[in-house]
Amino acid sequence: MPPSIAPGRLKALQSAPRKPKVVEIGARHGASPEVPAGADRLTELLDAQIKRNEFGEHLALRRWFSDSIGDEAAPDCAFDPAALRLLAPDAPDSITDADKWLFLDTETTGLAGGTGTYPFLVGIAWWDAGGLEVEQFFMREQSEEHSLLVALRERIAERPVLVTFNGKSFDWPLLETRYRMTRSIKPPALRAHIDFLHPARNLWRLRLGSVRLAELEKHVLGWNRGADVISELIPQTYFDYLRGGPPEPLVPIFQHNQMDLRGLAALATRVLALLANPETHGRDPLELFGLSRICERRGEATRARRLYAHSIARELPPDADRAARRSLARLAKRDGDHDLALELWGKMAGASREGLEAYEQLAIHYEHRSREPHRAAALVRKALNDLRRASRISAIAPSAHKAWRLRFQQRLARLERKAGRSLLDALESESQALPGESN
Amino acid sequence: MATPSQGLAARPVSTLDTFQGVLSALAGRYRGDDVLTAIRHIPARDAVFRPMPDWARPELAAAYRSKGIDQLYSHQASAAELARAGKDFVVVTPTASGKTLCYNLPVLNSILEDSDTRALYLFPTKALAQDQLAELHDLATQLDDQFGVFTYDGDTPADARKAIRERGHIILSNPDMLHTGILPHHTKWIRVFENLRYIVLDELHTYRGVFGSHLANVLRRIARVAQFYGSGPQFICCSATIANPGELASQLTERKMEVIDENGAPAGEKLFVFYNPPMVNRNLGIRRSYLNEATRVAKELLAQNLQTIVFANSRLHTEVLLTYLQQAFPPKPGAAELIRGYRGGYLPGERREIERGLRDGRVRGVVATSALELGIDIGSLDSSVMAGYAGSIASTWQRAGRAGRRNGTSCAVMVASSAPLDQFIVQHPEYFFGRSPEHAYVQPDNLEILVNHLKCAAFELAIAPGEKFGIVDLQDLCARLAEAGFLHRSGGNWHWVQEAYPADTISLRSVTSDNFVIILSSSEDDGNLTGARKGAPEVIGEVDFSSALTTVHPKAIYLHQGQQYHVERLDFDQRKAYVKPVSVEYYTDAIRYTQVRVLDIAEEESIAGNATPHSSRSHGDVLVRSQVVGFKKIKFFTNENVGDGKLELPENEMHTTAFWITLEHPLLASLPFALSDRQSGIFGLLHALESMATLLLMCDKRDLGTAVGERPPSPGVETEWHEYTAATDDPARMKEFFEPNLYLYDAYPGGIGFSEPLYRVHDLLLRRTRELIAGCPCDKGCPSCVGPAGERSERTKETALAILNHLCA
Repeated sequence: MPPSIAPGRLKALQSAPRKPKVVEIGARHGASPEVPAGADRLTELLDAQIKRNEFGEHLALRRWFSDSIGDEAAPDCAFDPAALRLLAPDAPDSITDADKWLFLDTETTGLAGGTGTYPFLVGIAWWDAGGLEVEQFFMREQSEEHSLLVALRERIAERPVLVTFNGKSFDWPLLETRYRMTRSIKPPALRAHIDFLHPARNLWRLRLGSVRLAELEKHVLGWNRGADVISELIPQTYFDYLRGGPPEPLVPIFQHNQMDLRGLAALATRVLALLANPETHGRDPLELFGLSRICERRGEATRARRLYAHSIARELPPDADRAARRSLARLAKRDGDHDLALELWGKMAGASREGLEAYEQLAIHYEHRSREPHRAAALVRKALNDLRRASRISAIAPSAHKAWRLRFQQRLARLERKAGRSLLDALESESQALPGESN
Repeated sequence: MATPSQGLAARPVSTLDTFQGVLSALAGRYRGDDVLTAIRHIPARDAVFRPMPDWARPELAAAYRSKGIDQLYSHQASAAELARAGKDFVVVTPTASGKTLCYNLPVLNSILEDSDTRALYLFPTKALAQDQLAELHDLATQLDDQFGVFTYDGDTPADARKAIRERGHIILSNPDMLHTGILPHHTKWIRVFENLRYIVLDELHTYRGVFGSHLANVLRRIARVAQFYGSGPQFICCSATIANPGELASQLTERKMEVIDENGAPAGEKLFVFYNPPMVNRNLGIRRSYLNEATRVAKELLAQNLQTIVFANSRLHTEVLLTYLQQAFPPKPGAAELIRGYRGGYLPGERREIERGLRDGRVRGVVATSALELGIDIGSLDSSVMAGYAGSIASTWQRAGRAGRRNGTSCAVMVASSAPLDQFIVQHPEYFFGRSPEHAYVQPDNLEILVNHLKCAAFELAIAPGEKFGIVDLQDLCARLAEAGFLHRSGGNWHWVQEAYPADTISLRSVTSDNFVIILSSSEDDGNLTGARKGAPEVIGEVDFSSALTTVHPKAIYLHQGQQYHVERLDFDQRKAYVKPVSVEYYTDAIRYTQVRVLDIAEEESIAGNATPHSSRSHGDVLVRSQVVGFKKIKFFTNENVGDGKLELPENEMHTTAFWITLEHPLLASLPFALSDRQSGIFGLLHALESMATLLLMCDKRDLGTAVGERPPSPGVETEWHEYTAATDDPARMKEFFEPNLYLYDAYPGGIGFSEPLYRVHDLLLRRTRELIAGCPCDKGCPSCVGPAGERSERTKETALAILNHLCA
């Protein structure tokens, strides 16, 4: 019983949601369309070339950009190994060779990932002759994907250190999926993959709120892109072209991809300079603060302590200042520098999140280290007092208030029991104190 | 699988005498009324053993031996041999017959022979997969962890997923997860797909209707992906007893299937009892409330310290029964409840705790929905009470199978409601106890479902020329999907060209994948916060979209674990219902209005009755709109209506298929009844038609919707909606029908294939409906035939019969 289709009746067949822009459908091809109608015109517009390999054809174009973006010059041939270790701790030392770096950014048919999302435009770039050489591969239609992937594989083999912005969680897994789906082209082997999204977040999110690449270019690198496409419209633009729409709207996407690569290269240079010489390159206490966090995360405690202290000295905004002091106190405690830790906590104690933690740390210190339960109890009472006051003026969320109040009340009850008993009893109960608190 | 559970205290073995005592107490209460319409004694059955196959790896045989299994039941041995021979097959087994061994033995044996082997086990629910995990972990321990077994479902933490894909030999999942989580990311599952040798479908009989039709398409997708990676998995299926297991399995898998339907497992002695609540008013055909009667039956059993499971057919009834039983068996002060509830919407942790309580005997009774019908391990109980017929014979046997000790006697009691189907079953026990007449139907080629899966398939791998789903050639559909902007043809293949991820918006279970969460309104007074931590709103449960409007509309009383909650606010857009605990003496029942518009008539024919043709039957495409417009407050125990309210809620719209009968004006005009009687008779007739239709189609009552509407002047003509407005709840308020259509529609967008069969069996449907009404002992109509007398005119039954007499030849 072959099903008959009542057009328009099937919900599943109802037209896909489209962005408002409607494109006039151009001349339609026959039953077996070759490349979409706009493909030839696009080749002309971009001054691109049709590349051919054993898997078919795709479009490719190259541009060399002499100008450096903002005030970042292309680097010398190698990077500071210590700075790179902060970004890619597990990578081989050979990643310091800048000639092996390949910047990569893709434009895709969606952000959902999975097996049905295509990277229709893949841009790569590398430093060359004091500027940046950008190469872009484009599938004029989806059947050109294999040929494109082979070309990309060759480039990655030449420069196996992949450098991206959010490529670790998006572009590269997507490309790996595409290689797997060919069943014949192996995914290229990377020597290392350095992604700049997380460092950028650490360094600039507090200051800028957003760490979109274009924002970073503007506010960190001092470079304004000017007119740019709206990223959300990119997939639909490509779909419109596939269905025979005019190729002109694709041209700004190529430019957008080029700008992303240039921005990425400049950003990489800037981050590496900061990591190599924070004191000279850090322009802003928040950058120093971000650097301290990167160092702390990578286990470089000494460097982190120094940078936290620097950033505090250069007057951070209140939120960041509290966070920096908290981290610094934690590092000081770990290093056995109790005086510094006590000083920091003493100044911080209050009704903020860090302030309440400081109260708690102080109470732990007086209870377990200096064995002054009365003093610890007094601090906890003060903390409860601050907490009550903050709650009365709604300066603390009810849930946080409740949780903290409970913690302090339990601690206070224990301290009061302890303080009320003989020293011997107190010492005995010491051995039953909560694990992890007594250091 | 089920090992005899050890109660906390030594429990005496229940004997036939124990139950006969209970039964005579039940029967003795109503003298003169034969409440026990059937008592079947199912004798104990001995095991039929076969030796462990000689090809079984010694370490595997040893592992089973250490679990006390050194030989196989005959059906297990047959399954092992078929699996070994590379055949696709289905094993038909009742509850607790050791069916998991039927697939675990051959699968584990292959893994031990070749550690690259991969197997995918699909269970209809997450809970069942969890249960199998425990069993397989046990075997893995015996085998020095030579294989990895993991569940992969919505609860699997993101950081564990990669390891599971790499290290899992056996993946336990469900069709929904396969559909949204695995297939669209098949490249990540490359190791599994390249080596996929077995697909196990457990509880096969649950894959019927909508869910089954979806699953068939999901399996088409997995076949494509497996082929892409060069594997061709073998299917091993297990099913409860239905009439057509082989047919169902081959429709789902599109393979030729062998069937094993012998059963070599032993079983203890069992009593199966049909209980029909006594008539309280023979004239009106009113029986005692079956919920109250089921409560009474359960109380008698629980009072004998028999661990008892009570099944109800809806969430609401679960909660009502739970309330009654918890009141009857209060725990000791400070102790946990002895009687617990169990249904969808409870959180997983809560469920696990209840399951444990049942196994170790702390929980003495449980009130459940079908959620506990399938193989979740709760041990074996002493007795099973069903409040109302489960809707199918297979389900009823499974519910009954929840009670059953290997040694000793168990008892299952089915308490009939006054619904026509229930009455039919209790009055015709031979229909139930004979060979299963039930057929499971699927409609994999339902275009709505197929096209949705075609989209998913295209997302997974571009569709190549010449590809087919079953017998459906995909080229034409792909071309249409391309026109609609979903696909693009390139290099001969059809590629997905949408940003959206198709599987996300397609639910395998229901109309939409939306769920409403039930949130406890947080009180500002923080001393009252019950369990709300970190200020996060406390989510107490979920309801699916289709039942949300009827169960959590504003001012509804929502019941959860016996606690009543008042719905303060329904945030329709955010899919949230905010509730507050209350204690009131009523529950709420939503009033829903439904409108049907005919879009396209596929076939139409006059019904040649015994007079000149004055009516016709049709099937075709319709648009159904429904809306909850109000609710009634019903008092507990007395079922009095103690108030009502109006509601303004969004309309729900669906395109589906329907079968309908048109009564032409001359026929209605010829009836010697008043207008209100005629109207009432039409609704009464539809009520009876629906009951017979679900019986003939072996479908769930939820799968069919009914509505009465004015026949459109001519099909396709656009007319104002309100002209066809029909309120199935309240015929009295309706204006007169000139030429009404009586609709039975598929309660699923696109239809699941019931309308055409109904059109074909139309004569039988009308004859049986007439038998049902004419044979009913009530005077003027009752819930068992044309609907409750109180809500209908006095002459409903008479009118409905008069109409039927015109319709039947």
